[in-house]
Amino acid sequence: MVSLLRNQKVRNALLQVLYVGALAALVLAGVVIARRNLAEQGITSGFDFLYKSTGWDVNFSLLPATANDPYWWFFLIGIINTLFLGTVGLMLATLVGTIVGLARTSSNELARLLGRTYVDIFRNIPLILQVFFWYAVITHLPTPRAAHEAWGMMLTSRGLYVPIPNVGAIAFAAAILAVIAAIALPVWLGRTSRLSQPFGERLGIQLAAAATALATAAVILALGRLPDLPLLDFPALQGLNLKGGLRIPPEFSALAIAIAIYGGSYIAEIVRGGFKSVGKGQMEAALSLGLSPWRVFTLVRLPLALRAMLPILANQYVWLMKATTMGIAVGFTDFFMIVALTINHSGQTLETIGILMAGFLAINLSLAAIFNRINKAIALKGNQLRA
Amino acid sequence: MNPGKASGPAVRIENLDKHYGTFHALRKVNLSVGRGERIVVCGPSGSGKSTVIRCINRLEQHDGGRITVLGTELNDDVANIDGIRREVGMVFQHFNLFPHMTVLENCMIAPMIVRKLPRTEAETTARRYLEKVRIPEQAMKFPGQLSGGQQQRVAIARALCMQPQIMLFDEPTSALDPEMISEVLDVMVTLASDGMTMICVTHEMGFARRVADRVVFMDGGEIVEEAPPEEFFTSCRNDRTRQFLSQILGH
Amino acid sequence: MEMVVVAPPAPGKVEDLKRRFFATPLQALLSLMSLAIMAFVVWKLLDWAVFSAVFTTSGGPEACQAAAGACWSVIAARWRIILFGLYPFEEQWRSALACVAVVVMTVLSCIPAFWTGRRIALVWGAGTALYYVLMKGGVLGLSYVGEEAWGGLALTLFIFVTTCLIGFPLAVCLALLRRSELPWISRTTALIIDGVRSLPLISILFTFAIVLPFALPQWLVGDKLYRVILGSALFFSAYQAEIVRGGMQGVPAGQEEAAMALGMSYWQRISRILLPQAMRNALPATINQFVISFKETSLVVIVGFFEILASGNAAYGTGEWRFAYVEVYAFIAFIYFIFVFSLSRYGAFLERRMSVGER
Ligand SMILES: Nc1ncnc2c1ncn2[C@@H]1O[C@H](COP(=O)(O)OP(=O)(O)OP(=O)(O)O)[C@@H](O)[C@H]1O
Ligand SMILES: [Mg+2]
Repeated sequence: MVSLLRNQKVRNALLQVLYVGALAALVLAGVVIARRNLAEQGITSGFDFLYKSTGWDVNFSLLPATANDPYWWFFLIGIINTLFLGTVGLMLATLVGTIVGLARTSSNELARLLGRTYVDIFRNIPLILQVFFWYAVITHLPTPRAAHEAWGMMLTSRGLYVPIPNVGAIAFAAAILAVIAAIALPVWLGRTSRLSQPFGERLGIQLAAAATALATAAVILALGRLPDLPLLDFPALQGLNLKGGLRIPPEFSALAIAIAIYGGSYIAEIVRGGFKSVGKGQMEAALSLGLSPWRVFTLVRLPLALRAMLPILANQYVWLMKATTMGIAVGFTDFFMIVALTINHSGQTLETIGILMAGFLAINLSLAAIFNRINKAIALKGNQLRA
Repeated sequence: MNPGKASGPAVRIENLDKHYGTFHALRKVNLSVGRGERIVVCGPSGSGKSTVIRCINRLEQHDGGRITVLGTELNDDVANIDGIRREVGMVFQHFNLFPHMTVLENCMIAPMIVRKLPRTEAETTARRYLEKVRIPEQAMKFPGQLSGGQQQRVAIARALCMQPQIMLFDEPTSALDPEMISEVLDVMVTLASDGMTMICVTHEMGFARRVADRVVFMDGGEIVEEAPPEEFFTSCRNDRTRQFLSQILGH
Repeated sequence: MEMVVVAPPAPGKVEDLKRRFFATPLQALLSLMSLAIMAFVVWKLLDWAVFSAVFTTSGGPEACQAAAGACWSVIAARWRIILFGLYPFEEQWRSALACVAVVVMTVLSCIPAFWTGRRIALVWGAGTALYYVLMKGGVLGLSYVGEEAWGGLALTLFIFVTTCLIGFPLAVCLALLRRSELPWISRTTALIIDGVRSLPLISILFTFAIVLPFALPQWLVGDKLYRVILGSALFFSAYQAEIVRGGMQGVPAGQEEAAMALGMSYWQRISRILLPQAMRNALPATINQFVISFKETSLVVIVGFFEILASGNAAYGTGEWRFAYVEVYAFIAFIYFIFVFSLSRYGAFLERRMSVGER
């Protein structure tokens, strides 16, 4: 027996069995105890509750939602809210980050100082504090009766009201797709066209593509227009409240602003790192070929820097997606808040936690997959460039 | 379980087999090393020299045949492995000194924590061996502050501080600049003349001539030839051996 | 910032300025724009925070609200609740001393002389124990104050320190398990680490605070504070484990082989050879992780703790200081900034020092 324990192979096998077994036992015991505790409270385990109606409402949803809708529908709404807030947040953060990052790499000392100050301040204050701050700022804005007004938009303590076109939902979605195409097409054309093509000709094609897509959007909007209503629906005061237009609730704006500012400070550093990694030699080589500084930037510096940035940026985006869970701090019904509310109201604790984990796993994995795709597509091919 | 007390050869290797995945690295290797014997192992790159001596102290696990060190069989028994490692010292091509410890600490740590020697005793032993490898004055420096030759001599001293009965050398001079090779070889020659059992993988044929009792030539995971040095260098029977010798002695 | 300005031989002041900021029209435009933004922001800020601000409580909230600038009176009136939460008023000196203990402990552990496993463990053990005794009392003639009364900055620091204290050893264990040669151990551990890393911290805190009590036998449930600290430590350790593992990968394989050849046991190899070198490699990333986790302690406000953010919300949330939210948040942001900024500067300094290559 003693000599058996001294055997390396026996030891290894024993260790593995003990470790995995202990962990499995721990999880199992937790589940068993939880089921018993829940059963005492009259909660039967299982996923049947997904088809029951919730009895409570969400304050933000891109899909139609009422208190009669079932739980699974609310989970879907939560996921979509998370993705929507995350996407808006990370687009804004990328915008901010790019501007600040470029300022930090610029040759101008003052611009660099400005960029650095921004990063130093906003990176070092917790995101949730920034969320609270913006939420307080927005909810302390004047009431609808005394709203700040600009370009048809209304800024009030109940949110930002913006005009929207009076068109059908499907037409509206199609128009948005067309606008996205108007931005994406020229970029794609620029990537696929040859360097040998004259610069002017390329630009012409790109502009034409963008114009076509925008025109399509306009046509779609005109066709999908609701009858007997003006094209744009402006918010206006009616009684004590604002009617018309699209209301962007304070919870959403506070989160989006905070994520943009905080995330922007991180992305600025990533942008700076990316540009720093581009060797001087490559730029000098390009300049010596007689390319204009602008073309050196767009043809050499930017693509190389982007490649260096992308993997780190991907991590940052995943982080920002997860940061949307701060919604619960100000009452934005993101996926996590829906989970918390569900546990509160239905008591289906274990199942709901399972759904939470699965949801975030799915979000993480799909983001990772998207970025792997992009990374592969733009990666330098073997001998294209040797560092 | 008391390696060292038993009689018989220091190391006996019988029908040793070793695979890396599907790659057959050692094929039926047989080798017996007597006490106090000095063996030099040579052969082309990738022939399995390192693998053989790394099997002797279980840095690699063999998957066929038997290895007996100082009368103890090297098998899955943890106590055997620990016992054998205590009695077998090893010197590596890239020194592998611990960079976060001074030279003296490098030499003291194993005797203190493995052999449980008191600190003062470990220090006297360490200083004695540092003297022996002719760098007593470097004791308080860190490895990064020494030259390659000095580092390798510290590595030898570190192994000796455990007072092993067998020393393994895996190409101890091939990472060194030419002018440092002799200072390391000199130390090895002294060690040989003290009667240490040594198995050296090296391509220093001058060293082999001077101290080896036997030279072992390996190729393709097999021992191709095994002979005393004068016989090995003058009248080897095998074609591969001759070709190898002409390559390293040729110019 | 790398301002490598190569000085030309004895330039005139004006020429120097011209060369640095107005070399080309584009540069001039950039300079002017940056200058304008800076001047505007700095002026507005100064005006708000200093020139037009009210600093004394004498006028009360009404006078303060009427002022054009910041109302720092709210801080003067409410700083105690922000820093110490609901801790008994006469005992708040203990809370302050406890904060000092934690700060001293952090500063000490930034000094290289303390960077051996034993000393760092001693400093952190002693610091945390001192904090705990001061805050909780019940001994040495200190009156007893339960955890439910802890709050403000003191609670934030406590959560941070205990998170690191539990999370760090756990991270080392996880890293060792993940690099184990035994496939089932390394795979299972990888699953745990990657699983935790894919979840947002808030969901883990929530699970530990609210869901875990269901899954534990009654005698194991314990105080919510300690459950949340465990959750936060688990999250910290999942990230830190990968950092430690990265540091271990930076240690050449020959190091462990040499230790094995000398007859050292597994634990001897790990504690004497592998970890000291791995920790050194991982130091900059580790400090970065500490910085992140300090900022993240603020999230416990969501599961209902009265840490500095919640006490800040309370400081302006009720009664006559409702309007003064900006000042309160600015004050809290300033406190966070001091801690986080100095820690991250220190990390950057270490990184530079190590890349220069000190032995
Ligand atoms: N860890 C490993 N995994 C897979 N193959 C290995 C491993 N170690 C060695 N090998 C292979 O086993 C063979 C023998 O290796 P070994 O290191 O023993 O050669 P060697 O004679 O010492 O060569 P050299 O003179 O280059 O050091 C080589 O072909 C090598 O590629
Ligand atoms: Mg070799």
